[in-house]
Amino acid sequence: MSETMISVENLVSHYGPVKVLDGVTFDVKKGEIFMVIGGSGCGKSTLLKQMCGLLKPTSGHIIYRGKDLAAMDEDELSAMQRTIGIAFQSSGLFNSMTVGENVAMPMREFGGVDPKLIDELVRYKLSLVGLAHAQHLMPSELSGGMRKRAGLARAIALDPDLVYFDEPSAGLDPIMAAGLDNMILKLKSLLNTTFVIVTHELDSIRLAADRILMLDMGEVIFCGTLEEAAASPVDRLRQFFDRRADDFIVQRNITS
Amino acid sequence: MNECTVLCPEVLDQDGGAAMYKSLLKQWSRRSTAIVLDFASTDSIDSLGGAWIMKAAGYARQKGVDFSWKGQHDALSDFLEMLAPSLQASPPARPKMPGPLEKLGEVIISVTKECGEFLSLTVDTIYWTLIAPFEGRGFRFNAFIDEVHEMGVRAVRIVCLMNFLLGLIIAMLSAKQVEAFGIQIYVANLIFIGFARELAAVMTAVVVSARSGAAIAAELATMTVQEEIDALRGMGISPAQYLVTPKLLAMLVALPCLATLGLISGVLGGAVWGIFVLGFRPFMWYNQTLEAAAMDDIMQGMLKTFFFAIAIVMIGCHNGFRVKGGSRGVGLMTTRAVVMDIFSLICIDIVFASIFYYLLG
Repeated sequence: MSETMISVENLVSHYGPVKVLDGVTFDVKKGEIFMVIGGSGCGKSTLLKQMCGLLKPTSGHIIYRGKDLAAMDEDELSAMQRTIGIAFQSSGLFNSMTVGENVAMPMREFGGVDPKLIDELVRYKLSLVGLAHAQHLMPSELSGGMRKRAGLARAIALDPDLVYFDEPSAGLDPIMAAGLDNMILKLKSLLNTTFVIVTHELDSIRLAADRILMLDMGEVIFCGTLEEAAASPVDRLRQFFDRRADDFIVQRNITS
Repeated sequence: MNECTVLCPEVLDQDGGAAMYKSLLKQWSRRSTAIVLDFASTDSIDSLGGAWIMKAAGYARQKGVDFSWKGQHDALSDFLEMLAPSLQASPPARPKMPGPLEKLGEVIISVTKECGEFLSLTVDTIYWTLIAPFEGRGFRFNAFIDEVHEMGVRAVRIVCLMNFLLGLIIAMLSAKQVEAFGIQIYVANLIFIGFARELAAVMTAVVVSARSGAAIAAELATMTVQEEIDALRGMGISPAQYLVTPKLLAMLVALPCLATLGLISGVLGGAVWGIFVLGFRPFMWYNQTLEAAAMDDIMQGMLKTFFFAIAIVMIGCHNGFRVKGGSRGVGLMTTRAVVMDIFSLICIDIVFASIFYYLLG
């Protein structure tokens, strides 16, 4: 638990003139489930994209296994990206391939998997997310929630050490969402997988999170365990956990 | 009871699993009635090991015997519990390839359906273009102006350049052919009649269909994929009214204008060759060109462009709305739209050519 998997130091990120992340600092330990929470548009997805090297930081560092992502060249970066599994918010499935081929793609591309095993492995990963029957369907034939799950299956195809999920349970029914939480917990205990999960689901946060990070307007306002969160005086965090509405919701959105 | 018990290795990963499967095949005999995996000495397992267990289960299913395991410690049983659902079911069958008759039927049905869709889109568009504005129902004038700018104004340069170069080329080639007869001045006639009747209209339409036809198809296809079309319908707005009509009217305005500019540029291209290379005096070439200029020829060319405009927009929109299946579908439909556009241009052209040839001489 003590070894640091990835650490973010003073990260600042801009989209054009808009500052999205402002001095974000935290560590993710090996084998923990680290959840990132916060209101819509507070920079969660941007943070995730920074952490897998899809965006370059304006300033600050992201250290993955002792190396700074910003200082890596193309080859190092893609080697690093192969060791992590990413499931995007809108699934990111390749439309031209069947669901099974989508999951098999990293196995075929990155090698290391006996071709005889790929079919079994694909079925295993798909049945983990409850999609065993959909192996030969095209992504366009699936519903939104099913597509999302297929994206998750692809992200964990190669048993990565570090998995990023961007709102994995958004759009899933509660039964599936609970199954997903169980799967995450099992993968963690079994393979010591580290998860960084952006989510809004209070239930899965309470069930699975080891530590949570709360962002607000691009800044970290809380980082710690659930117990610490329960004791924390931070008002925004209280509001999040109590599902209390913002009195100034309209004004906030206009000014931010 | 004759169990085929296989002792699994300490680490059940890709290699460990392979060894396990190998010893299963070795120990299997005809008399075996069950396959049992013994995990007593297994410490760790990963997904690849899991895949090997699935392979062993598949082997048991194929032989029609029971499959089970024993001796696993707690963490391992968690993993096996996750694996269990994928062990029970046999792999889903691949979709069957249809036979030739089924394929034929499919083609007939899809062609009929497509014709129906095209017709209904056409009817909708005719209503929203010709009838609705006079009933005082919405016409998006701003969108129309935007589209004229996008399809027309922004295409002026490329259309002029293409026609200019084509005029140059034709003058170049034909002057060589008639050199021996000393009638090179008639190249001016050839260029004018050629461009007025055929080339300006067809060249411009080809350029525009590659430019705007593809853009229309890609835009509408992406909108369909992203459920924007459904959103429009859901608001009770007809896509034919909101999207197709402004494009169609804009194209009906833009294409004839572009073709006129194309005619001018083509004739200029021929003149450049005639004056600067063949050495005719500008005044002479100008007079010869004017002599050849007949309103009939120009009208014949211009009349076609209206039909070209309708074909380009309707085919682009039709293919855009028909898209299925994400980004790949968008690409396929855009390609299809451009191919159909250009083919239909030639078809329309040949119809007009025959009509003018046999009726008007």
